[in-house]
Amino acid sequence: MTTNGAAPVIRVDHVSRWFGSVVAVSDVTFDVTPGITGLLGPNGAGKTTLLRMMTGLTGTSDGTVTVFGEPVRRNPPLYGRMGVMSEHETVYGFMKGRDFVRMMGRLRGVTDEAAVDKAIGFVDLADAAHRPLGTYSRGMRQRMRLAATLVHDPEILILDEPLNGADPRQRVHFQTLLRQLAAEGRTILLSSHILEEVEQLADTVLLIVNGKLAASGDFRAIRVALDERPYHVLVVSDSPRELAAAVVRLESVDAVNVDPDGTLVVLSRNVRDLQIELPRLAQSAAISLRRVEPLDDSLESVFGYLVER
Amino acid sequence: MLPIFLLTLRQLSGKWRLTIMSLLALLPVVVGVLMVSFEDAPSVADFEIGVLSSILAGAISPLVVLAIASAAFANEIEDKTLANLTLAPIPRWQIVVPKLLAAICVAGPFMAISAFLTGYFAYSADIRAALAVTAAVVVGVALYSSAFVWLGLKTTRAIGYGLLYIVLWEGFFSSFVMGVRLFSVRYFSIAWMHWFDARRFAGFDDFSFGFTVVASVAVFGGFLLLSIRRLRYMDVP
Repeated sequence: MTTNGAAPVIRVDHVSRWFGSVVAVSDVTFDVTPGITGLLGPNGAGKTTLLRMMTGLTGTSDGTVTVFGEPVRRNPPLYGRMGVMSEHETVYGFMKGRDFVRMMGRLRGVTDEAAVDKAIGFVDLADAAHRPLGTYSRGMRQRMRLAATLVHDPEILILDEPLNGADPRQRVHFQTLLRQLAAEGRTILLSSHILEEVEQLADTVLLIVNGKLAASGDFRAIRVALDERPYHVLVVSDSPRELAAAVVRLESVDAVNVDPDGTLVVLSRNVRDLQIELPRLAQSAAISLRRVEPLDDSLESVFGYLVER
Repeated sequence: MLPIFLLTLRQLSGKWRLTIMSLLALLPVVVGVLMVSFEDAPSVADFEIGVLSSILAGAISPLVVLAIASAAFANEIEDKTLANLTLAPIPRWQIVVPKLLAAICVAGPFMAISAFLTGYFAYSADIRAALAVTAAVVVGVALYSSAFVWLGLKTTRAIGYGLLYIVLWEGFFSSFVMGVRLFSVRYFSIAWMHWFDARRFAGFDDFSFGFTVVASVAVFGGFLLLSIRRLRYMDVP
C-alpha cells in the first residue's frame, strides 16, 4: 500500500509480530515516503511494536522491513542514516545535555563540535545544555532527545509519541521543528494516539487498530470518511415515545431505538444538524431533554468504524 | 568505543554500589589478618583453602563482580536506554567490549587491593606472594566479568542466577566434586596464583599451566562471544 507517488524509503511488507499467543501486529503492508507520515492508533494498537520493527530493535515474526532497500534488522551501517527517538523518556540523568548529544554524535561518527551546537540550537536548548539531564522538565528532555536524534543529520526520523509530555507551547515549537525538517527533504514517521496531533502535522497517515492497518493515505480523505460515519446519540427525556416519533422524521436521523427504560438511542450521520434540530423539536413539542450524550466519540470507536468500513 | 566505556564507568560507579563493594572487599583482609594473628597460624596450604580459595576467589570476588558486571547491560535494559547504543552504526562487539572493560575496571581495583593486602599480611610482607595473589584475583575478575556481563544481557534475574552459580557451583560442587574444578573459575584463579609465584606455592596439587591458559581464554572469550551474539539477536527494549 503506498501513501503517495514518491519512491518508498521504508517498506513494510506483510509484517506480523506475535509474542506467544498474543498477536501485536498482523500482516501489515505499507510504504513510507519523504515528508511527514503519521502512524495513528489507540493505545495498545501495535504502533510501538511496528516502529520497533522498522528500526530493527525488534525482529519480525513474519514479513520483512526494508529501509533504502536493505533489511533493517541486524544492519548497523544503516542506522547511521536513521534517527530514532523511542517512546521511553528515560535518559542518563547524571549526564549534561550537551554531553549526551555529543556522545550520541560520537557513536554515530560525528566528531564535529559544531554539529552538536547546531542540534542543540535547533531545539532551542543552548542555555540548558550545561545542566544534567536529570534536572530537565519532561518537555526539555524530549527536546534534548530530539537534538541527540538529529545530531548526525539523519535522512530518516522515526519518532514514537514525540509530543508526549510537551506543554502547548512546546508542542507548537516541536511541530514547527518537524515541519522544517520535513521541508529539508527528510522522511519523518511519527506515532501518536491523538488524532488532532497527527492531523496538524502529517501529510499522510497510517491508521493502526488491533495490530492491523485500518486505513492509509491522505489525511483529508480519512477525515471525510470520519465525518460520514454514523453516530449513536443517547437521549433521555420526560416523554421518550413522543420524542422518538418526532425525531425519526428528522432528515439527520437514520434510526431511533427506544430502550425499555425509556432511553432513546438515535443513529445519525449528520450530528451537526441533529444538534440544532433536536432542541428545537423538543421545545416545540414541550418535551424536556434531560440528557443528550454521544455514545461513540472515543478514539477507539472512531478507529473501529474505519476498520469495519 | 571510548564513549561507551566512559558511560558505563559512570553508570557502574554509583555511591551505594561502591560502598558495598568496599565493605565486601575488606572482608578477606580482616579474616586473613585475624587468622595469621592467632598463635597457631594456618599453614600456607590451609590459608589458601580457607581464605584465598574459599573466601577471596570463590565468594567475595564473584559477588563483587556479579554486582558490577551484571549491571553493565541490565541497567540499560531496565532503564530502556540500551537502544541509544544499539541504534548506533557500530558493530555489536564495539558495544560489548567497552562495557566489559568498564566492568573489569570498576571491580578490578577493589579486588586487587583486597587481594594484595590479604596476601601481604598472610605471607609476612612477601611482596611477590602478595602480587601473585593480586594477579590471580584480577584474572578471576576478568573471567567472572565476562560471564556476568553475558548473564546481565541474557536475563533480568541475573543477580539471582548469579548467586545460585556462586553458591552451588563455585562454592559447593567445586569443593566436593573433583571434576567440577575443571570448569571452576575459582580454581583457574588459584592455578594462576600458583604459576605467578611457583616458589611459595611449589608442590601444590594443580592444573597444568597450559590447561589453565586455555581454560581461562575459553571462559573469557566464550562468554564475550555469547554476549556479542546475544546483543545481535535480542529484541532491544
